[in-house]
Amino acid sequence: MADEVTAVVVDDHPVVRAGVEHWLSSAGIPLVASGEDPGVAWTGPGARAAVVVLDLHLGGVAPELSALRKLVEDGRKVVVYSMRADDEVVLQCLEIGALSYLTKAEGADHLVQAVRAAAAGQSYTPPALAGALAGDRSETRPALSPRETEVLVEWFQSESKEFVAQRLNITLSTVNSHLERIRVKYAAIGRQAPTKAALVARAIQDGLIGLDDL
Amino acid sequence: MTDHAVFATTRRVLVVVVFATQLVLTLPSLVAHHQGPAAWAAYVLLTSVLAFVAGHVVAGRAEPSAGCAGALAAVTLTSSVLATTALPAGASFGPADWAFGLVGWYLLLVLVERPAALVAALAAHVCFCVAWFLHAGNGDAGTAGVVILSGTSFQLGVLVMTRVLLRDGRLAARAAAEHDAARTREVLARQREQDLREGFEGQLGALLPLLADLADEVVSTADEATRLRCSVAAVQLRRLFAENDDVPDPLLHELTACVDVAERRGVVVSLAVSGTATPVPTEVRRALVAPMARALAAAGGRAKVSLLRTATEVRVAVVADAPDVLPEAGDVPASVLVETSVHSGLVRSEARWRTR
Repeated sequence: MADEVTAVVVDDHPVVRAGVEHWLSSAGIPLVASGEDPGVAWTGPGARAAVVVLDLHLGGVAPELSALRKLVEDGRKVVVYSMRADDEVVLQCLEIGALSYLTKAEGADHLVQAVRAAAAGQSYTPPALAGALAGDRSETRPALSPRETEVLVEWFQSESKEFVAQRLNITLSTVNSHLERIRVKYAAIGRQAPTKAALVARAIQDGLIGLDDL
Repeated sequence: MTDHAVFATTRRVLVVVVFATQLVLTLPSLVAHHQGPAAWAAYVLLTSVLAFVAGHVVAGRAEPSAGCAGALAAVTLTSSVLATTALPAGASFGPADWAFGLVGWYLLLVLVERPAALVAALAAHVCFCVAWFLHAGNGDAGTAGVVILSGTSFQLGVLVMTRVLLRDGRLAARAAAEHDAARTREVLARQREQDLREGFEGQLGALLPLLADLADEVVSTADEATRLRCSVAAVQLRRLFAENDDVPDPLLHELTACVDVAERRGVVVSLAVSGTATPVPTEVRRALVAPMARALAAAGGRAKVSLLRTATEVRVAVVADAPDVLPEAGDVPASVLVETSVHSGLVRSEARWRTR
């Protein structure tokens, strides 16, 4: 059962845990453990879950970036699930090595896709994250092509990949590969993490991106 | 009339007066009374002063500098001394004394804009002539008194008239300046009032004509089109209320206000914001929000509003279930780029503004 997608959710609100469990199980993804403390992802059934859905604000004011870092350094695939869409924190999470960042305003569909992608070691870029990347003004941001930037912006604005594809007159899979290339470019900067290295390696193997693009 | 104009005119008149006096009144007297070379020297000196001043007047430089005026006055007084001392004994203030009145006019000519210096020079001239007259000792005191009084009083009269003219000129100039300033203020006030009115009408946009049409029963709220106009007006009005609020992020504040109105109408709106707040001028803010507000006013079921601020751009976009035809757009500043398109039943409208 190594290929089965399983998840553990860390969130301090029981209603969120219940909601996430319902959404994931409706999509055929069993939630093997849940709790309000990151410890639940390290012990028992939670330690073997393929994907960790981590709330960034567990009661405290400061985001739980150290919990995220520990999980990522251990090679865990993490989807950050947060109330807030503070661009700086979003970009920090990507830099640490989260495979996706979802705001709680984004619905079941995005969460399920993000968890599935993460289980396969792939990134998923929901619209809010696309907005954060498009608005990134940091010095270290990777160079994106005009087309990539346009895809990011249109996806952020419309929340519909079909709409983006129609608008830019490209196919749906081209939209996805643009988003993936962008994430690979981001994975190639900053500190190293197993998930980020895997993203880049896979993209190069698949011919999605050349070494020169990085 | 400026001081300069008063002095220039007076000097021009004096040049003519002096020229006429010298040629018509004094030359015959000088010739008739056979005087020595000193008198002729005085006459030539005076003529050279006249020529100098006339040259300046013709060249358009009617007001000589202080040094120049002083030198001319000194030459004139020297001529006075030469001419007076050359007179036969007892001829002072008599028919042979051609220079007394003329020198007074010359002093007036060179010193008209310097009243204190003029009075001092005239006094020196008169005192010297009187002293010379007393020194000679055999003249008619009565005739001398009449000549002195008539000559100097006429010249002082001209001086006083010049001063009066000068004062009136200054008063008139000040009154004219005040009048001009008042006119300018009036025009400015009128312009400002008009700008305010136009600005207000512009901001209220479709509201005033709509209210008028409703009041006149030209349109009815039963029509879909009228309801759309009402909806547009409501969003515009709500945005206008938000426009002057003092908030850290005015653009987002106005967007939120418009979203709020649409949500009250039952539209499900999601608002996404990315990037940090940048200052946006009010004009541009209006232009950025307007397309989104119009699309929201027309939106049926769902709408997604987004605000993206990158290092170089501010972009406000809306994607909504809305009829293909949106309410018409108003004037947009050239710096804001608005693009509206329809794809698979969704209207997308975006306004972009380059921050630099």
